[in-house]
Amino acid sequence: MTQDAATHSGTFAAGRALGLDHLKLGTWLFLASEVMFFGGLIAAFLHYKVNSPSPQAGLLSVPLVGANTFVLLTSSFTVVQGLAAIRRGKRGGLMAYLALTILLGAAFLAGQAYEFSSLYREGVTLQSSVFGSSFFTLTGFHGMHVFTGLVWASSTLLRAARGHYSAEDHGGVEVFGLYWHFVDIVWIVLFTIIYLV
Amino acid sequence: MSAEPVAAPTSNWRRYFGWNTDHKVIGVQYMVTTFLFFLLGGLLAVLIRTELARPGQDLVDGTQFNRLFTNHGSLMIFLWIIPVLAGFGNYLIPLMIGAKDMAFPRLNALSYWLIPPAGILMIVSFFVGAADTGWTAYVPLSISAPDGQTLWALSIVLLGVSSILGGINFIATVVTMRAEGLTFGRLPLFVWGMLATALLMVVATPVLSAGLVLVAMDRIAGTLFFSVGVGGDPILWQNLFWFYSHPAVYIMVLPAMGIVSEILPVFARKPIFGYKAIAASSMAIAILGMLVWAHHMFASGMDPRLRIPYMITSMIIAVPTGVKIFSWLGTIWDGKLRFTTPMLFALGFISMFLIGGITGIFLASIPVDLHVTDTYFVVAHLHFVLFGGSVSAVYAGLYYWFPKITGRMYDERLGKAHFWMNFIGTNLAYLPMFLVGLLGMPRRVADYAPEFTSLNFLASIGAFILAISTVPFLYNAIVSWATGPKAEANPWRARTLEWQTTSPPPAHNFPVPPHVTGGPYDYGEQAPSTSLAPAPAAGK
Amino acid sequence: MNPRRTVTLLILTAVLIGLGVAVALTVNLMPEEASRQAQMVDGLFRGLMGVATVIFLGVEGALLYAVLRFRRRRGDETDGLAVHGNNALEAIWIAIPALIVIVISFASFRVLIASGASEPQPLVVEVVGRQFVWEFRYPEADVVSSELHLPLNRQVRFAISSDDVIHSLWIPVFRVKQDATPGRVAEMVITPTRAGRYPIRCAEFCGAAHTTMTSEVVVESAEEFAAWLQAQQVAGMSGGAGQAGRQLFTQYGCSACHALADAGARGTVGPSLDGIGTTAASRVPGLDARAYIEQSILDPHAFVAEGFPSGVMPPSFGERLSQEQLRALIDYLLSQ
Repeated sequence: MTQDAATHSGTFAAGRALGLDHLKLGTWLFLASEVMFFGGLIAAFLHYKVNSPSPQAGLLSVPLVGANTFVLLTSSFTVVQGLAAIRRGKRGGLMAYLALTILLGAAFLAGQAYEFSSLYREGVTLQSSVFGSSFFTLTGFHGMHVFTGLVWASSTLLRAARGHYSAEDHGGVEVFGLYWHFVDIVWIVLFTIIYLV
Repeated sequence: MSAEPVAAPTSNWRRYFGWNTDHKVIGVQYMVTTFLFFLLGGLLAVLIRTELARPGQDLVDGTQFNRLFTNHGSLMIFLWIIPVLAGFGNYLIPLMIGAKDMAFPRLNALSYWLIPPAGILMIVSFFVGAADTGWTAYVPLSISAPDGQTLWALSIVLLGVSSILGGINFIATVVTMRAEGLTFGRLPLFVWGMLATALLMVVATPVLSAGLVLVAMDRIAGTLFFSVGVGGDPILWQNLFWFYSHPAVYIMVLPAMGIVSEILPVFARKPIFGYKAIAASSMAIAILGMLVWAHHMFASGMDPRLRIPYMITSMIIAVPTGVKIFSWLGTIWDGKLRFTTPMLFALGFISMFLIGGITGIFLASIPVDLHVTDTYFVVAHLHFVLFGGSVSAVYAGLYYWFPKITGRMYDERLGKAHFWMNFIGTNLAYLPMFLVGLLGMPRRVADYAPEFTSLNFLASIGAFILAISTVPFLYNAIVSWATGPKAEANPWRARTLEWQTTSPPPAHNFPVPPHVTGGPYDYGEQAPSTSLAPAPAAGK
Repeated sequence: MNPRRTVTLLILTAVLIGLGVAVALTVNLMPEEASRQAQMVDGLFRGLMGVATVIFLGVEGALLYAVLRFRRRRGDETDGLAVHGNNALEAIWIAIPALIVIVISFASFRVLIASGASEPQPLVVEVVGRQFVWEFRYPEADVVSSELHLPLNRQVRFAISSDDVIHSLWIPVFRVKQDATPGRVAEMVITPTRAGRYPIRCAEFCGAAHTTMTSEVVVESAEEFAAWLQAQQVAGMSGGAGQAGRQLFTQYGCSACHALADAGARGTVGPSLDGIGTTAASRVPGLDARAYIEQSILDPHAFVAEGFPSGVMPPSFGERLSQEQLRALIDYLLSQ
């Protein structure tokens, strides 16, 4: 009942004058906090990359993970398409693109798992070196965020199936989209500083 | 004047013990829960000061002493000051902006409910080999500390999440839910303070979480982040830790300053002096506050040249801080001062925070800092700003909004007695600490050279007075809440929106959505004192 | 503003500044000045005290005055003046503090540079902090000591590090400290200017016996210093087993936590070792005296004496002591 109390009737005129939706604003703020969290882990990784470089870094596979990056980027594209679909009221389109996103996201995770296990076989572990510690921690947390995103995508897909979203009301899909793009952008940064630089 | 107010609801105390999404209930839950941790942290302080009243280690051994100050600091910072001010924010923001509740009421309840388990974790950690490395938990010491340290870290992570979610809620609420006519130029200064604070909560806290993750992984998963032999760097922890923990002190003081800005105009019957400057200074302090953190590391062995920009930013931040103090003086100047308990505590804040602020400038100067850092000088400085400052403001706010929250009036004489004990106790406890720090007493020690005895003894007396001062407050709060005289809607004749509804407010705060036509501090205007009118029924 | 107000304000300002100067010149809250750096820091500190006095008395004075002068008169329920601000005044109280902090920053910068300025032929001293004792090494003379001796008026360059956790070397009469961080060497320069014996404190929390991690610095004439250095060299080379053992006992910090009359140790964190040579044999069944002492050093948590906390004694002595050192230490303790 109190949930309705905070929904936006004609009362918040001064607030609404800014044209910002509280759900979107809240999501952006949450993503800002996530950026800072990754910032801390990235700072640790970069600090050690510069000050305690490790030969184990040479075992990273740029081609494999490069391809994986492409997969993840494509999944952001499918999210954009899905959102465009529901904006036109096309529930089926949304569902299809969400399913594609989940597939691509899962493929990304599979690729990461393969990279992790190859590195593990070459002796790179959380405990093998400072590089190992910072590499697995940073990419591991990113992977956890991707996994959370997949769960979220699945739930969104289910809700879409139940007719939850329409051309006028699809805030939840937008919020998911923002999160998924964030996960993608973080990966671009990670890929660059871990594999490319 | 507004329509006939809805009769205040009967206070059902059971609401406060369960999941409830009403921001007023959540606000009270925060305030009461955190006050309990305040008392616990205070108990630890009494034990510390008992040990330090005389030279020689007689009360506790070294390890136990280390647990005392570690948990004292951790409780006070993470389970008292930061969340109690969030509790004030929770209770007041929707009311002050004319909203029915926060933007995300369920997230709000979650933010609160993270606190009891976090508190329990910290208490439990006491019994499994407590955290004993200071609230700053420097590595490598904290990596090999007993198991309680991991529970401590987990507790802080939970509290960090609570803080971040709260910050998101505050910003979203203030930006998108202000009532008709409530422009940013009419926003109460407490709300400005909370806005600046919320920004810091959202942006700075996650960096501490990242640092704690690294420490936890070293402890649990055998990672090598802080293993010096293989390239790990203890300074990395210091940077991650202070990147948050310096802004954290502004999280602990900006809302408190906001409370002072609310109270002074009411009891001076004058507008706040320099509204724009005070609002701007809150934002300036928040932003600058993110650029000073390495002043905690001047003696750490960091690149000596890099220290200089941090000295400069740390000095500059004194300017917006000074703006507030001078504006407050301007507010009471030529006013008609009424010395109610909240007013006394607000004035006490100014006089004691000033000492903390001035000594901050000493600490910002690198050569002076190299002598006084990590000594009792710093302990004195931080207690003047956090106890003489923030805690005074919390008390001021508790008394000021007591009638609004509980619907009853507190006892003025007990309040005044509390104030004087608090004022005398604070000065007596912490002024001597400046002196022993300068003379050579480091911090976090259980014993000291005999020549520091009398100063330490005085400080301990002050601490005991502070401990006793909580008694009149608790008695007043509990008895008045239960049986105090009923309070009217606006006993202080204040102009902010929370006073334009019943005490306590009804379920959705305002029977009719408010329509604001003037600022919240327009005392002395020729126009009548109402600063709001009900929104017209149909169109305008 | 009317002329009378201006005059009053000017007089008050003059009085405040006068008081500030008086405080700066006369009030001394610091311990003795025993280094060139201390003189410079104290000068800066006194300047800050003067400024602080002016600000403190000015603001608290205004507060007190306002509280007394602007009390509400009984029965007056009306509002005060509707004054929202004053642009000129606000500009002034932004500009003046900004100016003050700029000047202070500049003055601090000058002292920082001056106090770190190099002098010819500095004495190099390496400092190693370990739980819970300081070790001072004179590399040129190949001397290791747990007490710091310094010659008067000659610059010392400290190279400070740690073997275990972060400590901080603080010598209050010198007015400087630097953290001793493992994996890092921090530099600190000092020129002692006054002979005497002064306390050294650890200023970064480092564990159970942080409180008792203390030492002393002896500042003496160049001749006395040279004599001391030579005596340390002789003792290190030719001292008998007892001498070597006693030196190790102090050097490795045992004295910080254990009492042992022969070594002048008064630590109370762990059990007293007076008479340990006799009691060691009967502590743990199956362990003779030598085996018991060896276990106590290498694996301190295997058996903890009644009434003493477990988990406090560092378990790392096995890595830090060589075989000869371990033997010398055990021999020494067996003789107690």
